[in-house]
This record gives sequence, structure tokens and C-alpha cells, in this order.
Amino acid sequence: MDFNDQIESSGDEEEITAEAVLKTLYNAWQNERLSPEILPHCNEMVECMLGQIQHMERNINKLPKTDLRASIHKMELSRIKYIICNYLRARLCKIEKHCIPIINEERQRIESGTNYLTPSEYKYAQEYLLNMEGHFKSVVLDKVPGNMQTFEMNKMAIYPNLQSHVFLKANETVNGVVLDLPGEQDEEIDLEEGSQHILLYKPVADLVKSGKVQLI
Amino acid sequence: MDPYEIEFIGENRLVSVIPNFTYDKIYLICGEFGPFRAGLPMNVPLWLAVMLKQKQKCRIVPPDWMDIDALETIKEAEKTSRFFTKMPNEHYMVEAKLILGAAAEDIPRAGEIKTIIKDIWDIRMSKLRTSMDTLMKSGGSYGRLDHLTMMEINSVKPLLPSAMDDLLRIQSMAKKTIQPSLNTSSFSQSGSSQNI
Repeated sequence: MDFNDQIESSGDEEEITAEAVLKTLYNAWQNERLSPEILPHCNEMVECMLGQIQHMERNINKLPKTDLRASIHKMELSRIKYIICNYLRARLCKIEKHCIPIINEERQRIESGTNYLTPSEYKYAQEYLLNMEGHFKSVVLDKVPGNMQTFEMNKMAIYPNLQSHVFLKANETVNGVVLDLPGEQDEEIDLEEGSQHILLYKPVADLVKSGKVQLI
Repeated sequence: MDPYEIEFIGENRLVSVIPNFTYDKIYLICGEFGPFRAGLPMNVPLWLAVMLKQKQKCRIVPPDWMDIDALETIKEAEKTSRFFTKMPNEHYMVEAKLILGAAAEDIPRAGEIKTIIKDIWDIRMSKLRTSMDTLMKSGGSYGRLDHLTMMEINSVKPLLPSAMDDLLRIQSMAKKTIQPSLNTSSFSQSGSSQNI
């Protein structure tokens, strides 16, 4: 009984339920996996869920090993940990791949206070770039003639392809999404709530970030 | 995404089970379930149902739609309709696979049900391939896919979006190569007129 009470009270302290946080994490994970560019972080949700997991793990340890509840809870925690790990890994993958444009854009976003990366992700990105630069210097650039030794950051940058197609489902009705297609006049479409579409990522990028549509 | 990840998402759906043990409510992060009463049906997430089934602690109640007659009706509707019909369940393939895999003995006429679901899947997939073909041939870069389930969408993900990306790239390249040639001709004209 003690076990259940503790979990309930820990849930009451939060303004949103753990269930809602989990749901948000699922959506964020799916979006992050399917969008070509990096999305705004949801660190608060991750931290909150990690706290819940720790709390839960302490309680599980109090239960006897053979208890059915313990194995159910463990299974659930493993599932949630998988989501979180996979989500963070997907972000790191993008940070490594699009390192240079992400750092450049992030600098401006930090000034306006709308940063997409968490402070530790930003630090990781900067260190990754430094290491990469150092590596290229020591392996190649230091050994070639002096006039070729500069590390040309802009030529190294890999940009995410925003002109790629994605599948999405509208969470709410959005009218008049403009598809800017090459060679044709702009076409406008309406996304009704619950409808599913395949279209270019660029015109809907903001809708993904604001949660009005969900990538599927 | 990997089909296993779609399955993972589908595993969060609720199914009805009849436990063979009695237990208090259990407070999971994804919600509270229970109390478990031996012999009384209750809802749990699919992953938990499969887990309990594997421990032989419950029977899984077949979902309403997992019924020969209902499925036959869906199959007929799917055959006659030009469009995709709405499936009874957003993750019908995942549920069918997991439930029939873990608890085939709990489902009456499991073998036949498996065949019908596979038929429905095949009809829908061939429809999907035809519409993809039409979409690509019309050079479209937008499509509406109502009533397609996640697993079905995922199965065309390695092909359709990248094909559309390539098509778009070709279209914009074509546009770019036409324009500069027009520009250069107008340039040379204006250049020559200045010289004179």
C-alpha cells in the first residue's frame, strides 16, 4: 500500500500528470525521428520523466524480487527509457550531421531566447565541431601547402534538406497552407483535423514545431 | 522508422484481458490499471496483456473487430471502394500480429482470422501501390492519405518520400536551366545595344 501511495503523491505534486508527460515525449520522439531538421528541445519533459523513473526505481527495489508488480513496473520503465534514449540519440545524430548550420542558427536563437538545443547539447555541438576541425588539421591540412591550409567552414557545412517530403496527421484544422512548388503557381491546401497527408516539410515546419500537426 | 518501432507505438493501445489472479490497482506512469479480479475482464495496454499472457496470468479477450463476419464486411468494402476505407483500429496489423502470435488459443477461428486480415492488408497495399504510381506519374508533390494506418504508411516510407524528393529536385533543376538561358540571351542583347 505504501508503495502505491508514494507514487500517487509524487504524481500530485506535478501540475501535469506523468501520463501527459509521457504522451508529449512520444510525440516529440516521433517528430524528431521523422523531421529532416532538428526541432526545439523538450528538456523539461525529459528531466521530469527521468525524475519519475528514478523515483519508481527506488520503490521497485523495496519490493520482493518475485513480485508481479515489480516486473510490470520494470517493463514499463524499460519502455520509457527506450523512448528517451532513442529521442536523445536521434537529436545527437542530427547535431553531428548538421553541426555547422545548427551552431550558426543556434547562436542567433540564443540571443532571441528561442534556443532549440539544451545547454549541454549546444556544448556538445561546439566541442564536436572543434574536434572535427582539429582532426582535419592534424590529418590533412597541416601536411598540404600553406595556401591550402585554411579550414573552410562554409564548404564543410551539410544543410538539412527542408525540401523533403514527410507524412503528417493534423492535430487541429489548419487552413491555407501554401505549398510553394517550383514551376507551378502556389497551391493552397487545408489540413482538417485528423486528416493525413504527404507533403513538403518546409511549408509545415512551423506547424510541426507548434504541435498543430504530428509527423507520422 | 523501423516496423518494430511502429509495433512499439501500437503496443500502447488498450485491450481487454481476463486475469486469473486477484490484485490491487497498479499505478503505472502511463495510467492506473486494475483492480485485477480473477475472471473479470479489464483493460490494460497491449504490451502488458502480452506480458501477462506469456506468464500465463490472463486470457486475452478478442477485440470486437477481430471477428470473421466483421472482417469479411471490411474486406468486401475494401474491395469495392476506390478509396481506402476506415479501419476498425489504427494499429490493426500490430494488434492482430501480437494477439494472434501470443494468444492464438484465446481467439476463436484464429487461423481464418489471420488469413482475412492478411487479405485485407494485401488489398490495401496493392491499392496503395497503384495510387503511388498515379501520384508519381502526375508529378504531384502532395497527396492525401486518410484512413491509412501507421504501419501501411511506414511500409512505403523507404520509397515514396525519397522518390518525391528526387522528382522535386529534377523539376526545380529543369526550371533553373531554362531560366538562365533566357537571361543570357537578354543580357547579350542589352550588352550589344550598349556597345553601339
